[in-house]
Amino acid sequence: MKTTHGDVAARKKKGPGALATAYLVIYNVVMTAGWLVIAVGLVRAYLARGSYHGLYYSIEKPLKFFQTGALLEVLSRVFLTWAVTHSVREVRRRLLFYFHFEIIIGYSFNTSSWLNPLRYTFFFALYPMGVSGELLTIYAALPHVQKTGLYSVTLPNKYNFSFDYHGFLILAMVSYIPLFPQLYFHMIRQRKKVLGHVEDYSKVE
Amino acid sequence: MKHYEILDAKTKDKLCFLDKVEPNATIGEIKSMFHKSHPQWYPTRQSIRLDAKGKSLKDEDVLQHLPVGTTATFYFRDLGAQISWVTVFLTEYMGPLVLYLMFYFRVPFIYAAKYDFTTSKHWVVHLACMCHSFHFVKRLLETLFVHRFSHGTMPLRNIFKNCTYYWGFAAWMAYYINHPLYTPPIYGEQQIRLALVLFLFCQIGNFSIHIALRNLRPPGSKTRKIPYPTKNPFTWIFLLVSCPNYTYELGAWLGFTLMTQCLPVAFFTLVGFIQMTVWAKGKHRSYLKEFRDYPPLRSPILPFIL
Repeated sequence: MKTTHGDVAARKKKGPGALATAYLVIYNVVMTAGWLVIAVGLVRAYLARGSYHGLYYSIEKPLKFFQTGALLEVLSRVFLTWAVTHSVREVRRRLLFYFHFEIIIGYSFNTSSWLNPLRYTFFFALYPMGVSGELLTIYAALPHVQKTGLYSVTLPNKYNFSFDYHGFLILAMVSYIPLFPQLYFHMIRQRKKVLGHVEDYSKVE
Repeated sequence: MKHYEILDAKTKDKLCFLDKVEPNATIGEIKSMFHKSHPQWYPTRQSIRLDAKGKSLKDEDVLQHLPVGTTATFYFRDLGAQISWVTVFLTEYMGPLVLYLMFYFRVPFIYAAKYDFTTSKHWVVHLACMCHSFHFVKRLLETLFVHRFSHGTMPLRNIFKNCTYYWGFAAWMAYYINHPLYTPPIYGEQQIRLALVLFLFCQIGNFSIHIALRNLRPPGSKTRKIPYPTKNPFTWIFLLVSCPNYTYELGAWLGFTLMTQCLPVAFFTLVGFIQMTVWAKGKHRSYLKEFRDYPPLRSPILPFIL
């Protein structure tokens, strides 16, 4: 694979147009609602059953719908604009697994940037909480996935392909070890940058 | 005779002052001089520009032809550790060649122990091994004897990225094709024969384009010219396409996908196609920018389509 020798063109910082902004606002409101539905569903299911078992299946349909929606968000972000402050990495991580309380708050904060100070500070606590929640959920799901062979494909078949969802999940859990610190510290750096900005504006007044 | 100073593009610190420089000196010579005062920045990792955020100047650029004012200031950016293109290509292609053969010969610890050092009973598996190996031997030989690279080096981190891509995909494909439970193509001999024809046709095509491109450029030069069809019919595709080397490469991998009927091979073909399309579009755009009389009928990679 080749790359061009020399510099990458400097990313032009331009604000999203009116249509793009409207789309993002509506999209974020819908996503907030969606993840809220999922979270409420999970809490209710947990209270009803008294355990984590079968929790996933209680919210499977809305979850799939909103995860597909989150995938669209990645595509729309990539196509629409680089200037939106959230990194693509942040969204990609959200795609990975189920249980994200911080996303609900995050999406609601997306609708107005003056909430940024709150949002970035909340994240200090919520990121680790969210990650632990995700890891626990995956871990709890593992025996079931192994037993039923969920989303797995075995040989022989005419496409000469196989996929072990159980192994994939374990790999995903392991990948948190390098990924989470990077994302967490990136968030902290973003916070310093964004909040630093806000303080400057208030000084200009 | 002029004086020049080199500033850091980001911090604007004065890094180097060059006095008594000949006006017909080149940027390449400036880089050598800069390297003497800063031995850690060898010439290939230097980016010298007239504007801190501007484009890199070329080694061949002559100082007196540059739009410098009386205060001749250059800006420097460190491109990071560099590695030669040849080294990267040889390493990234060696992997697939060796790894595939390891799976083909069913070296221990890949498949169940009872299959160690056995060979597949399907003749298409042997054919696939020959084709895959031929493809990468061809690439290695082209790297050594055919290609004339514009750039000597690329960033060091690319070798890790590129090798992960090539070695990873090669192992993934080879695992299934050489698996004891491999299922041969549905339409049997017809499918395999068609696939082989397509594969070979595109290998010859790809090689013909590489030779044609090489002949555009005298040895040791970095000139760029518009490629045109030659006497070789495989180059007539230049009438319709800017980067037929990529077109043929896609064709060859489609052939290999058809031959092996293996989904991982299809994925590899798809990912490669996406990457080559990006490169082809970039190359096509450069051609259009550089040459006023660039043939309008040509598309970047797929005739009339893409």
